[in-house]
Amino acid sequence: MKISFYINGNAHSIEADGNTPLLWVIRDVLDLKGTKFGCGKAACGACTIHVDGEAVRSCSYSAKFAEGKNITTIEGLSAGDSLHPVQQAWIEEVVPQCGYCQPGFMMATAALLEKIPNPTDQDIDDNIVNICRCGTYYRMRKAIHRAAEIKNANI
Amino acid sequence: MEAFDKMMAVLTHKRCVNCHPSGDRPRQGEDSHYHNFGVQRGENNHGLPALRCQTCHQQENNNFSGVPGAPEWSLAPIRMAWEGLSRVEIARSILDPEINGGRTLEETVHHLTEHELVLWAWEPGVDANGVPREKPPVPKEEYIKAVKAWAEAGAPIPEE
Amino acid sequence: MSESKPKKKFSRRKFIIRSAVGVGVLLGTGYVTRPVWRRSLAEMANSAEAPYLGDTESPLLWFEVSAENQVVLYSPKVEMGQGTFTGLAQIAADELEVDINKIKVVHAPTASGNIDGMSTGGSTSISSLWQPLRELAATMREMLKNEAARIMETDAAALTVKEGVVSGNGQTLTYGEIAKQVKEWNIPDTPPLKDVKSYKFIGKPIPRVDLADKVAGASIFGMDAAMPDMLYGAVARPSSIGAKYVSADTSRAEKMPGVVKVVREKDFVGVVARSRMEAENAKNAIIVTWDTGKNWQSEDIEEMIRVGKGEPYVIQKAGRAKRILDNEEEVFTAEYKSPVGAHAQLEPNGAVAYVEGDKATVIISTQVVNITRNEVAERLGLEKENVNIIPAYLGGGFGRRLHTPNAMQAAVLSKAVGKPVKCFFNRQEEFQNDTFRPPTHHVLRAKLGAGGLIKAIEHNVSSGDVMYGSPMVPALAEPILGADVGAWRGGMIQYRKIPNYRAVSWRVKLPFATSWWRSLGLLANTFAIESFMDELAIKAGKDPVQFRLDQIQEDEAGYRLKEVIRAAAQKAGWRDGAHNGRAMGFAASTDANTPCAHVVEVSVEDGEIRVHKVTCAIDPGFAVNPDQVRAQCEGCIIMGLSAAMFEKMTVKDGQLTPTIYGPYKMALMKHAPKEIDVVILENADAPGAVGEPPLGPIGAAIANAVFRITGQRLREMPLQLA
Repeated sequence: MKISFYINGNAHSIEADGNTPLLWVIRDVLDLKGTKFGCGKAACGACTIHVDGEAVRSCSYSAKFAEGKNITTIEGLSAGDSLHPVQQAWIEEVVPQCGYCQPGFMMATAALLEKIPNPTDQDIDDNIVNICRCGTYYRMRKAIHRAAEIKNANI
Repeated sequence: MEAFDKMMAVLTHKRCVNCHPSGDRPRQGEDSHYHNFGVQRGENNHGLPALRCQTCHQQENNNFSGVPGAPEWSLAPIRMAWEGLSRVEIARSILDPEINGGRTLEETVHHLTEHELVLWAWEPGVDANGVPREKPPVPKEEYIKAVKAWAEAGAPIPEE
Repeated sequence: MSESKPKKKFSRRKFIIRSAVGVGVLLGTGYVTRPVWRRSLAEMANSAEAPYLGDTESPLLWFEVSAENQVVLYSPKVEMGQGTFTGLAQIAADELEVDINKIKVVHAPTASGNIDGMSTGGSTSISSLWQPLRELAATMREMLKNEAARIMETDAAALTVKEGVVSGNGQTLTYGEIAKQVKEWNIPDTPPLKDVKSYKFIGKPIPRVDLADKVAGASIFGMDAAMPDMLYGAVARPSSIGAKYVSADTSRAEKMPGVVKVVREKDFVGVVARSRMEAENAKNAIIVTWDTGKNWQSEDIEEMIRVGKGEPYVIQKAGRAKRILDNEEEVFTAEYKSPVGAHAQLEPNGAVAYVEGDKATVIISTQVVNITRNEVAERLGLEKENVNIIPAYLGGGFGRRLHTPNAMQAAVLSKAVGKPVKCFFNRQEEFQNDTFRPPTHHVLRAKLGAGGLIKAIEHNVSSGDVMYGSPMVPALAEPILGADVGAWRGGMIQYRKIPNYRAVSWRVKLPFATSWWRSLGLLANTFAIESFMDELAIKAGKDPVQFRLDQIQEDEAGYRLKEVIRAAAQKAGWRDGAHNGRAMGFAASTDANTPCAHVVEVSVEDGEIRVHKVTCAIDPGFAVNPDQVRAQCEGCIIMGLSAAMFEKMTVKDGQLTPTIYGPYKMALMKHAPKEIDVVILENADAPGAVGEPPLGPIGAAIANAVFRITGQRLREMPLQLA
């Protein structure tokens, strides 16, 4: 079926089986490789994207549901030349190790900051439940707090 | 009381009770374990601000991921907690407008027999390993018939 | 300037071949298999300082200077998160005399000829390349200077080099400008290296060189690799232990949408389709007949992994520990256990391969570039030189990518369709086909003597294999070494002032693959030994930190170990016992010559263990990048905490389970300590291991703290309160 949506601000129409997980459309059809496949079971969060501003795990989201939606991936998180506060904070705190899970975490964090501009440690613990095997959680927490600071200072 | 028995066999099944928890944590699976990753009810029963039910659960089951889905996938409000309740207590809570959101009996029957999230129980899809989820012990049509028969009989609740 | 420069007079380093693999190679010349020999080999392997087994003499294999004045560093070591690219860039930049931002580090494809003969693993990348890479970079710098002198028609001695610019005689040339004008390079002698104190990048907390790309989501991992006109493959995998492929009914799969070809081989069956989902769907439609063996259960495995069963090998012996412990009264004994652990790295294994005639190209996340190449060549009957392995960023390594049969399978599928094929495990397959951390059982015995010090101690560990069965280890090593070096890593007694000590490794061959898992046996062995030390300290009525310090020998290793113990205790404000519902726990270990000590601060809330703070002191000898040393410590602490507190694979009806995150419990954000304080000591003159040693003490440190709060001595991982 034909599915039309906006991704990172650009209109796209694709031809695909509507049940194909959106993840594979993003990765293999649109060639945006920043959104990762970790488990395909909505368990690890590596494939987290935004659909109309909300965090969604794209491995468990059928492409047909994307019809008419605004989709943002890690490639579109920054507007123009300036880095998104989350990415800026991630760089300041030198968060990534292997880096594979990081786009998912950054997308989840960006969604969190839209809802809770100054998340407490508890908010972070409750809302950010992606999996990182390298164990960068400690730096991520610092980066999330830092991202909130940057974001609030920008307003 | 056959109608009541049939209805309650469904309503006390894990496909229903897992999302009618008595606390703020949904349950999942055939063994009704707490939902993985510490998932929580949130303020409006749709999860936490950045970890909503819809982060993973969409309008229908996803057979690739094994994540179940249906329209309005969410937890029942805490006042409608069924976990740990007896059949009688559940039945009373269904009928109590203070608890059921002010529904009339007719509206309650409608909810129990036509709401897509309720009827999902008979199309529960497969789990993460591709294994079909267990369905309630009474077939859907029979259950619907039983709910209606029970209501028509004046929604009697037996002593237990 | 003479054109006939001597080809090469390279300063030769003396390699003391001491690594596990080196030992195997060494013994190929035929040594007698005697226990004493084995023990001394074991001692050597325990302090493994692996040599670098690749080119160390050809700067042109390593560096490419572009006309744009960029230096490309072709790294034969892969980047899997450990920060090796950054460390190598720092090491190269200082001797090359260029700004680190001018260096771009990329993986060396095997076709480049810069191939590491061993692997990326064992926390050896920086330590083994510390000397060679500085020499290579210095030689490259010298070579550029010489070429500049030729171009400027002056003497090289009159030139100075600064930040990628050669100047003198009133002229300047950038490295890029020089490189443009060179047709043939002459490799000069290696110049003397700079004084370590003069380095601008080495020793500094330089941000990771891969940081910007990883934060932008722009880094290409194996799973992201693509080739033009690529198809997607899927291979039917056994779900049960020991299952062997017999035959397959592919009639339904052949008719599935998108299917290009069903490929039947003697040992597997797979499909190639237009998209990943179509390939997955078609694979699921194949009805495979497996020859399934025994219906294994967890109890069977536990029964096998028991001290007293399997083959014992004495790996350490001093004094008369056995005689004392066998014959004297008041011997204290305790048993500990650890479960089967999964790697659970986020990027599943797979490969993109293209076989074209007698050539093959494979893009893959691998820790064993050379072995991957050889396996593909052998399977397809190609010349090794005709197989180009292009490593991509690894979405986690942890030892998981020391086995890469996926490359060979993707290549077979590609050959069958004549197009590039991408073939990856799904998550379930990734778990089922993991090469697990083996389960262990430990029996410790000790007798306290005068002054409450240990008179005799013995550690027995029973474990599945770690290094045997790995393509990295020559089969020849097995009968000679006996014990599995990986299994008993960390299993020796490090308190060598104790007059009588002994360690015995019991080898068990399990029915499923067990292998390298970050830090190998270190996590489990340290958990057992350091928990036991804590129990002994309590028995002796001593402070556990002082109890350890009192029994460490007076030598270099002993000094460094004592220093990290003191540093951790001091930084954490160590105090014994529980206070206001919190308690500290202490443990220390030495791995590959790097001592490390942890103090953890723990509470128990709602029946759950919470780790609030970890203070870690580590002595890697010398820190090339203190921030990345810190990052590795944090990562090891959290990964170790996850393994110690949550992770466990079980065997049920012949299957390893669970096969998905969630049911395979792992540490999440909320479980990570909110404070991690790392103290770095540098009590040696060269960098040593960092990426694994801090995993050692974490399990024991937590268990020791839990005992102080609850009185429960948890002797089994994952730690679970009664």
